[in-house]
Amino acid sequence: MDLSIIAGVDIGNSTTEVCVGEYAGRKLSRFLTGASVTTTGTKGTLANIHGILSALKSAMGRIGRDVSDIDLIRLNEAAPVIGDTAMETLTETIITDSSMIGHNPSTPAGAGQAAGELLSFDNLDRGKGGTPYIVFVSGSHGYEEVAAAINQAAGRLDIVGMILQADEAVLVENRLNRKIPIVDEVKRIDRIPDGKMAAIEVALPGQFIRMLSNPYGIATLLHLTPEETRTVTPIAKSLIGNRSAVVIKTPNGDIRENVLPAGEIYLNAEHPTRISLDEGADRIMKAVSDAGRIYDVTGQENTNVGNMLSRIRKSMGEVSGETDADIHITDILAVDTLAPVLISGALAGETCLEKAVGIAAMVRTQQLPMRQIAQKLSEKLSTEVRVAGVEAVMASLGALTTPGTTLPLAILDMGGGSTDAAIIREDGTVTLTHQAGAGELVSMLIQTELGLENRYMAEQIKKYPLAKVESLFHMRMENGEMYFVQESIDPRFYGRVVLLTEAGLVRVEKDVPMERIREIRREAKRKVFLTNAIRALRYVAPDHNLKNISNVVLVGGSAADFEIPEMLMEEFTSYGIVCGRGNIRGTEGPRNAVATGLVLSYGGEKK
Amino acid sequence: MISRRPSVFIYIHQADADFLREVLAGIEEENVSSEVFEREDADVNALAFDAAADSMMGSGIGISGVDVAMQMRGRRSGENVARLHMPSFSQCRTIGSNSARVMKKQGLRDLDPVSQG
Repeated sequence: MDLSIIAGVDIGNSTTEVCVGEYAGRKLSRFLTGASVTTTGTKGTLANIHGILSALKSAMGRIGRDVSDIDLIRLNEAAPVIGDTAMETLTETIITDSSMIGHNPSTPAGAGQAAGELLSFDNLDRGKGGTPYIVFVSGSHGYEEVAAAINQAAGRLDIVGMILQADEAVLVENRLNRKIPIVDEVKRIDRIPDGKMAAIEVALPGQFIRMLSNPYGIATLLHLTPEETRTVTPIAKSLIGNRSAVVIKTPNGDIRENVLPAGEIYLNAEHPTRISLDEGADRIMKAVSDAGRIYDVTGQENTNVGNMLSRIRKSMGEVSGETDADIHITDILAVDTLAPVLISGALAGETCLEKAVGIAAMVRTQQLPMRQIAQKLSEKLSTEVRVAGVEAVMASLGALTTPGTTLPLAILDMGGGSTDAAIIREDGTVTLTHQAGAGELVSMLIQTELGLENRYMAEQIKKYPLAKVESLFHMRMENGEMYFVQESIDPRFYGRVVLLTEAGLVRVEKDVPMERIREIRREAKRKVFLTNAIRALRYVAPDHNLKNISNVVLVGGSAADFEIPEMLMEEFTSYGIVCGRGNIRGTEGPRNAVATGLVLSYGGEKK
Repeated sequence: MISRRPSVFIYIHQADADFLREVLAGIEEENVSSEVFEREDADVNALAFDAAADSMMGSGIGISGVDVAMQMRGRRSGENVARLHMPSFSQCRTIGSNSARVMKKQGLRDLDPVSQG
């Protein structure tokens, strides 16, 4: 019988996957090989060809064959949706007149609190007896000079506290005859006003400040009126959790929380509605689900949300090559988050957690130019290339090769840009949906909440488990397990939180405890994938009731994640659903579903 | 001569006085104690290695003339955590601070402009 080799190629947002099978006439005799490479260029553009070629080469190389041995290549008809994400803070904190310092230098000195008039170290000789002073010192003076001068002035002046620019608080304190609280590492020492009243506090080891994080404490130290006490309340609030702080009494000194005009989201839908971004993610998602079929989503002009959505529209337009008017946002996922933002006007680089909202949007485009890719590829290889099948249907076919599955079967395809669900019934009919928000939104949430400079680090944190290097020879894993090594770990990792990647340890540069990073990571995954999995499956479920689904197979890049499938499993158990990570062809894990489906569907098509 | 107090050990041989002072300041600012011993050996690798081996917490520094090396117990002699020839004062501070941070199980700070010797 005639043997032919059929290759299925799936171009995804992040990876291009290949599956190769051997057909005896119309019957699949066996699967031969497969491969996965990073997608070159934007999905659906000619730039993808490079990646396709290298994936085919790698797959065929694995079985000692050549790409030219392939008789037919089947490309996926990519889902005509693309996703994008945007983030905007809703509040901002501004310190006016440099009215406070609240930070955690690694080593402040002394303990206790005091109030006094601010006096520059350079003007020490101008100080008068009988007035309590808090002396501030620029980094140009060494600790020995400072300590000597303060000791000398101590008989004449009443010095109750110090603020240093250099990291020398302990060094100075150890040389003082009288112990006083000292705050150091204050970068903008030049902005401290001479002659104003201030209060200083350094907490005891292992404790946080108590006086300055309490409005009445500040009132006590700075002799404030009830009216003034009211105005310092935000200062006290922002100082909670610090080990050292200074509050300066300035006539207009204030710390303000500005609420930025967030704006309204307009849902042009079956049941049109509008909702303010301030209402929070839960209310927004409720409005989205009540709106029915959504035709387009826009935002109030010149507001945060308006800018966010128009930014998404613009970048989507660039990708798809369509004009603004043709871009329709057909789904959004909103997520509440907190972003550490540098306080404007801060003296020591203080940050404040600002409310923010992240939005993933999905845009329906015209068909992606897969036929063009097929034609170019065909010319390059002199092999027949055909565009075949709807992506979700192919994914379902591929998912069915997972051992233990049966019809009717629901699949949940969790990729980078969108979460897709499909349900395939015994009679072969398929219902499917695409939902905005997936892996990329998770990365963005992690980046925002940890205040990371780049997305790459956030993606790494999303992908790998954490550990804390506790000595040169052992580390504590995030699950509490101890891991010992034979050879000394590089000292650069000593005492640090690291990621356990295939390529070895990667240092997390942010000084955040491991437990906190883990919490942020898991919470981000939960917010995006749990919300979307339920949303998507409810849409495709018979009567929109999750209880009518018995099996769910998880496929796609995010299904390969080390914890997302387990999170979903736990959640779906309560609905009586069998849910698990797919194992395509019994060997590939959750990847390669679409490519495998493309090879399988060839048999059906020929009949 | 070896006390059992948790402290950074510093073994020196004709050490540059300024470098030693800055290293000590770096340790002191971290609120950690240190002990300095004059040794016969002039090899900075050996000084640092021995200091780390003898320190109860496994953190040691060797200074020979104008060479400064930092070691942690468990690493081979010569495989210093840092070794600098003619370091700047701020680098000496960082070395001192890092050797103290080893005892506190905190991450080490980067040595600005490194001139690994």
